[in-house]
Amino acid sequence: MSDLDDFKATYFDECSELLTELEEQFAAIEAGERDADRLNAVFRAIHSIKGGAGAFGFSALVGFAHAYETLLDYVRDGRIEMSDDVVTLCIRANDIVADHVKAAQTGEALPADYGMDEKERFDALARGDAAAGDDEGGDPLDEFDIEFTPVMVNLDAPEAPAAMAAGEAPVDDAFDSAPMQIEPGHWEVRFTPHRALYARANDPLLLFRELAALGEMHVRAVLEEIPPLSDFEPFAVYCSWEITMISSSLTEAMIREVFEFVEGDCDIAVAQLGSAAVGFDIPPAPEPVVAPPKAAAKPTMSDEPDPADLLALADDEVASLLDFSGDKDVAPEPQFAPEPEPAPVSVQDSFEEPPSLSFAELAETIQPSPIAKPPAPVAVAAAPVRVAPPAAPSEGEESGGNRSVGVQSIRVDLDKVDRVVNMVGELVITQSMLTQQMDETLRARYTELVRGLEVLAQTTRGLQDSVMAIRAQPVKSVFSRMPRLVRELATKTGKKIKLETIGENTEIDKTVIEQLSDPLTHMIRNSADHGIETPDKRLGRGKNETGTIRLSAEQAGGNILIIVEDDGGGINRERVLQVARDKGVVAPDINPTDEQIDQLIFAPGFSTASEVSDISGRGVGMDVVLSNIKKIGGSVHVRSWTGKGTRMTLRLPLTLAVLDVMLVKVGESPYVVPLSSIVETIQCSRASFERVPSGGQVLQVRGEYVQVIDLAQRFEMVTETDPENRFVVLCEAEGSAKVALIVDDIIGQQQVVIKSLEENFERVDGIAGGTILGDGNVALIVDVQGLKTTIVHKNAA
Amino acid sequence: MEALGLRDDIGDKSAVAAQNSLQLIAFSIGEQTYGVEITTVREIRAWNGATPLPNTREFVRGVINLRGTIVPIFDLRARFGDGQTSPTKNHVVVVMSVGDKWVGILVDAVSDILTVSRDDIHNVPEGNSIDTELLNGIVTHESRMVGLIDLHAVVSGAKMDG
Repeated sequence: MSDLDDFKATYFDECSELLTELEEQFAAIEAGERDADRLNAVFRAIHSIKGGAGAFGFSALVGFAHAYETLLDYVRDGRIEMSDDVVTLCIRANDIVADHVKAAQTGEALPADYGMDEKERFDALARGDAAAGDDEGGDPLDEFDIEFTPVMVNLDAPEAPAAMAAGEAPVDDAFDSAPMQIEPGHWEVRFTPHRALYARANDPLLLFRELAALGEMHVRAVLEEIPPLSDFEPFAVYCSWEITMISSSLTEAMIREVFEFVEGDCDIAVAQLGSAAVGFDIPPAPEPVVAPPKAAAKPTMSDEPDPADLLALADDEVASLLDFSGDKDVAPEPQFAPEPEPAPVSVQDSFEEPPSLSFAELAETIQPSPIAKPPAPVAVAAAPVRVAPPAAPSEGEESGGNRSVGVQSIRVDLDKVDRVVNMVGELVITQSMLTQQMDETLRARYTELVRGLEVLAQTTRGLQDSVMAIRAQPVKSVFSRMPRLVRELATKTGKKIKLETIGENTEIDKTVIEQLSDPLTHMIRNSADHGIETPDKRLGRGKNETGTIRLSAEQAGGNILIIVEDDGGGINRERVLQVARDKGVVAPDINPTDEQIDQLIFAPGFSTASEVSDISGRGVGMDVVLSNIKKIGGSVHVRSWTGKGTRMTLRLPLTLAVLDVMLVKVGESPYVVPLSSIVETIQCSRASFERVPSGGQVLQVRGEYVQVIDLAQRFEMVTETDPENRFVVLCEAEGSAKVALIVDDIIGQQQVVIKSLEENFERVDGIAGGTILGDGNVALIVDVQGLKTTIVHKNAA
Repeated sequence: MEALGLRDDIGDKSAVAAQNSLQLIAFSIGEQTYGVEITTVREIRAWNGATPLPNTREFVRGVINLRGTIVPIFDLRARFGDGQTSPTKNHVVVVMSVGDKWVGILVDAVSDILTVSRDDIHNVPEGNSIDTELLNGIVTHESRMVGLIDLHAVVSGAKMDG
């Protein structure tokens, strides 16, 4: 089943990309860009989601998406006008689709009537206009069954078998021209397999091969039973075969022997040609049907083609598709025509199954004429954004540029990228080590070597940048989740809120992006709930009744700044200070500055909301922001203007693969402390230590008492450094609790690549991981937070 | 023709040997000889120091950088309860794979590659509990007793108690 799970994972990956695209498209549509390209993109996204959902049996999702798609199709045709109401309904529908996808992913059940209202509105809209619209059987939506959505071929089903028969011309001829008079060696076999035959993994082809070994054989597939696509049941068997055997030594027993193993799972009629039993007097098989299950299961999948395969599709317009069909006619063994041999050129390789021809495909390839416009819906699927540059898919690229979109991006397992990132990190370290080895005498002596090293330095840096760029993703993937959040918040709070996003193409490391979603959600909730005022209040203050939350991203040096601004009331400092005093966060005798008060909102358990709403107010929001951001080596800053608004700034590192650290010495061993957690360093001789009654040491820094951890002691290292010459590294752990680490020496500051200890060993208390220094030795990364908690734990015990 | 026949003969022998016998890398700690199956050994390198890991047992000598991966080093002497080795440049680290992890074992010297028959492997006599814990079996090779190291057992229990 793990294969299926993989496919599901891929499907959900794609869904999230598609949902992101939907948000984007509707952001533009909402802004008034109601051109056909956008509508098509929306239609395709929904269609792709539906197609995959059908394959995995997420029926609720399929049902809803289908109704939504119907509506979109009518809008696309111009039968329904894209009014603001419709846009709003669609946006709501996107949210519902997203919920359905999530439910399918997590296995949670949504209420059975979830989205029913919207669905009914779709239906009502669709019905209202469909009646007036053209109904001459050309409506693709009427024709495609959910299970077969992906194919989207305007396939006139009854014609298909005929087409196949036509394709079988040589066989037919052979069959028909077979002499009809009694001849001893001529036998007619009618073979009608039942569903059970396929269920037991029997393959008619093998039987035919065995028969063929008995003598000259001609086979004709009986395809008349194949129903129109809309009635097609995937697991039903619609096909039977008429076989003519010519061999003088053949007996009925020999023929029956071939079918011995499938006896009971099929109907076999054997008659000597020209005898009384000519023709086939056997009643039609009780179970109709033919499609071998493997083929039958296929079409549902073809909507989720591999990007690589898509290229082939997108490239080929109708004409070349027909060329394909030509190939197919020729390639399979003509005798066994209906037997789905792997197609020579697989047009519709699904990601689920090895290539095999489905009937739909057969029909499609063999009967060219009805496919006047098919590539449209199929080629469509090539457009999904993938990793392609964000700007690419939206603008006019779709029609002509499918090919290039596909080629421009590939899906790569993140692990593989990480391996490259790691190795490049090593390369950078080795390169800097080599450069350090070059002293003046060497430089003077080996000029060529020096030049080579310089080139190496340049190349490695370029390589590092390029590799980091691979991991980088536009923040759009997080930003695009926010419009929905704001909509929901606006509805819940009864406020009018508009979200503006700026710089969504700014790129950050993927890991950072993943960590960004929660903090941003909390910040926006906070802005919507506490920042933005109610419309009345805003009007009273002379503001526009619609509040604005602006979400922006920009690069500033080696950092990315993510800023959440609102034009609300600002932080009520009096209230914040009051609450902070009540909760003992701020001592009564301390008067913090405005800026310090603003930062208080990040204190754990802090909330000024007088009531706990279901949006925010439990006090677990903003400290989550702080701790999450710290975890990824970033910082948070808040600034507020009373009556005018609040600005929260997240400062994030560009990448997590490289960590800025301070290199210190404990005993004789090198350790590194992440720079992001260091507040300051103090020489021990200048630090003021105090003893607490329990015998422990604390450090007094600017009126604050800080717990002291002597790393040499903690790590059981022997140190011979004069205590006066040691250093205090003052660090900030989670929740802005400080801890003072005593180290023997401070060596310097550098960038390191983080390595896992667990990979070959196990977790070690107080150590967050390892890294490799320029000299090839391993330095351990101090886990500031971990050190603090183990101490607390020990005290408690 | 004769040469050809001879070659065939050798071929047959080695095929039989592959089935029934075991190739060991033998290494020594003091007077003792130990062995591990050759297929688990990844590389053998001279001792070149290790970064000590805090809060681990004395037989964990620390970690080294093996081409960009951090690999822990276990002191086999200390693991057998004989006190820590005072390693010199002449000491050897045998890097092996245990499951999906790579570990290094610090030993005095690597002595030989031995081929022994599986039939000759005996159970470890009951008695010394550390031996029964860390050895899979013992085998005699040219009148030397070779203890077969149970790598999983050697690398377990590295953390300090409590």
